[in-house]
Amino acid sequence: MNKIFLIAGREFLSRVRKKSFIVMTLLGPLLIAGFYALIIYLSVNEQISNDLKRIIVIDESGVFKDKLKENDFYKFDYKNEPLDAARLQLRNEDYFAVLHIPQTAADSLKGFKLIAATQTSWKDESYIEDKLNKVVSDIKFSQHGIDQKLIDEINNTSVSLESVRDTKEGLEKGSTAISTGLGFVGAIFIYMFIFIYGVQIMRGVMEEKTNRIVEVIISSVKPFELMMGKIAGIAMVALLQFLIWVVLSTVLGGGVTGALSDKMSMMQDAGAAMSQSGKAALVSDIMSQASQINVWLVGGMFLFFFITGYLFYGALFAAVGAAVDSETDTQQFMLPITIPLILAFFLAQTVVVSNPNGSLATWLSMVPFTSPIIMMVRVPFFTGAWDWSWGWQIIASMCCMLLGILVTTWMAGRIYRTGILLYGKKITYKELGKWLFYKA
Amino acid sequence: MQSLQIINVSKQYAHHKALDSVSLAVPKGSVYGLLGPNGAGKTSLIRIITQITGADEGEVLFNGEKLNPSHIYRMGYLPEERGLYKKMEVGEQLLFFARLKGLSRADAMHKLKDWVERFEIKNWWTKKVEELSKGMQQKVQFIATVLHQPELIILDEPFTGFDPINANLIRDEIIRLNKEGSTFIFSTHRMETVEQLCDHIALINKSKVVLEGEVKQIKNQFRTQTYEVEHSICKLQLSSSFVLQKSTPADGNMALSEIKILHGTPNDLLKELMPVSHIHSLKEIVPDMNDIFIQAVNKNVTTPSAVTL
Repeated sequence: MNKIFLIAGREFLSRVRKKSFIVMTLLGPLLIAGFYALIIYLSVNEQISNDLKRIIVIDESGVFKDKLKENDFYKFDYKNEPLDAARLQLRNEDYFAVLHIPQTAADSLKGFKLIAATQTSWKDESYIEDKLNKVVSDIKFSQHGIDQKLIDEINNTSVSLESVRDTKEGLEKGSTAISTGLGFVGAIFIYMFIFIYGVQIMRGVMEEKTNRIVEVIISSVKPFELMMGKIAGIAMVALLQFLIWVVLSTVLGGGVTGALSDKMSMMQDAGAAMSQSGKAALVSDIMSQASQINVWLVGGMFLFFFITGYLFYGALFAAVGAAVDSETDTQQFMLPITIPLILAFFLAQTVVVSNPNGSLATWLSMVPFTSPIIMMVRVPFFTGAWDWSWGWQIIASMCCMLLGILVTTWMAGRIYRTGILLYGKKITYKELGKWLFYKA
Repeated sequence: MQSLQIINVSKQYAHHKALDSVSLAVPKGSVYGLLGPNGAGKTSLIRIITQITGADEGEVLFNGEKLNPSHIYRMGYLPEERGLYKKMEVGEQLLFFARLKGLSRADAMHKLKDWVERFEIKNWWTKKVEELSKGMQQKVQFIATVLHQPELIILDEPFTGFDPINANLIRDEIIRLNKEGSTFIFSTHRMETVEQLCDHIALINKSKVVLEGEVKQIKNQFRTQTYEVEHSICKLQLSSSFVLQKSTPADGNMALSEIKILHGTPNDLLKELMPVSHIHSLKEIVPDMNDIFIQAVNKNVTTPSAVTL
């Protein structure tokens, strides 16, 4: 046991002292925050990703002139000239497309043509279709003597649905948006750390193997102790890095939140003033949703799956490192490890989010290969006080995970102790299977 | 008293038998040479002694006790393929290895001080291993092997990669440690090392021990009663007790003749030679380890009983 500590200590110190660790730990949160900020910025400010598109309209019916709605991305130039002349301009001038409307089109709803020099996007087509529809339907409404104001009022109908859960303590407000967000942030962290630090375990094992240090070391310690020491040491590095990130983002985030809450209270004041301000309602909605989340449960489960997910996959990564001689050979053995992880992450965003308590989600959160990510996404939906209706799932999932760790660690230990002493041989899956049952 | 006894040890890998009921005994305080061609099973045997792997059959006794994990603290092992953590500083690395062998930090520091001075490597202490030359790295690794003052030190090809000066330094250290009571096992195919240092040897070929014992005795066993005589050129006419194997001219009207004695003693040979020529010298042609090695291996190959596969 002492030896495991000694080896873990060496792993920990040699990694923490590296420049790359310090740089990554300090810059990591900034990089991640910057990355997400960029995505949000780009999707909010569409002007950056979209240029203005000018479209020539050849309207032979005369019905649509000056009636197609424009916005920042689409402008319509109505011209009275033959189609061929317009098409020539398409080539020479700065036009995106020609919209040709034949004489009978408004009645038959057929024959509209969008002619562009490049392939138009789905978005372009649906925008123009939508605007054409609007003009035609407006004409039809007025033909039937329906007032334009009435139409607008009907179109602006918006129902507000409040989701409420029936619990023992009475009715509780639902918390879908916040739960989803929280679950995802947790799952992303778990996914990232399993990958980053799992690969570090694999590389570390391979380094010892190819440098032949391993033979000296395992004449002093058992291979299993060496493997566990390595996994534990790297786990400490991961936890330290995560802790620093949490502290950093609290300190840095403190400033940002301060600035934000000023803004929020201003908005709330404004909201009160405007009586029906949607924004103020949204803010108070988020606040009340957040208060529903069981912070201790979510935090505890995150820590549990953060550590156990790493241990489960870490053992497998160690086995891969022991089985191969060089990085290029790792691919074939990495696949069975990476596929469940990526699959879990993909399913979490699709099936699990749309139906967090469905049977597929429930089963996936029992299987140790997928549970760290799937269960993490589901946990924030278990709100309120402890309830056995979902409590059993958490207990079962944790038990399966611990059992899974025992199995993968046992397997990895077997593969490891044979693999690290074997050089210059291409290993097959069949061979790995045999190693499991070798006598030491 | 035996430091190490190997009794009928066998080890089977998937498709070949690495060791086939190997038995040998390493006396306490000896320098024991483990010889054999590549792939004979030397490394497999060493891995069993150092408890890296276990034997399928047979028994290993260390100081008369059945091998157990506590024994690894009393052994030191230098593998043929050397390896150190490249990014780690020399001092830290030595401390790490010493503590793996059960020394406390303070104890290890104390012992290291002595070695660092002896090997004159004080200014390497904070250097990373990758900054050292290969020979320097080997020195560091040698210290790591013997630092915890093991009773049994196993060295796999210890002199490869050393320049003559450093090789001498290591040789002197081996002799010193041996005098202080450490038993050594060498695995090597360098016969000059064996002649210089070993007092006992075992020759392993094709998973079996083909020769074992004290170097003196083995040499005796391989003596062929052949003598080299330097004498003035003349026609040698020998009785049936002697066979002239070859005669080559040498400097100054002399000849060198190899004569095998079938019956009698070197004195009898001299008696027969003296009347016909001037004799300058006579010495026994003693087989060196190289000859013995080649002879034993070849014999082993051609003897049908030795073919086990």
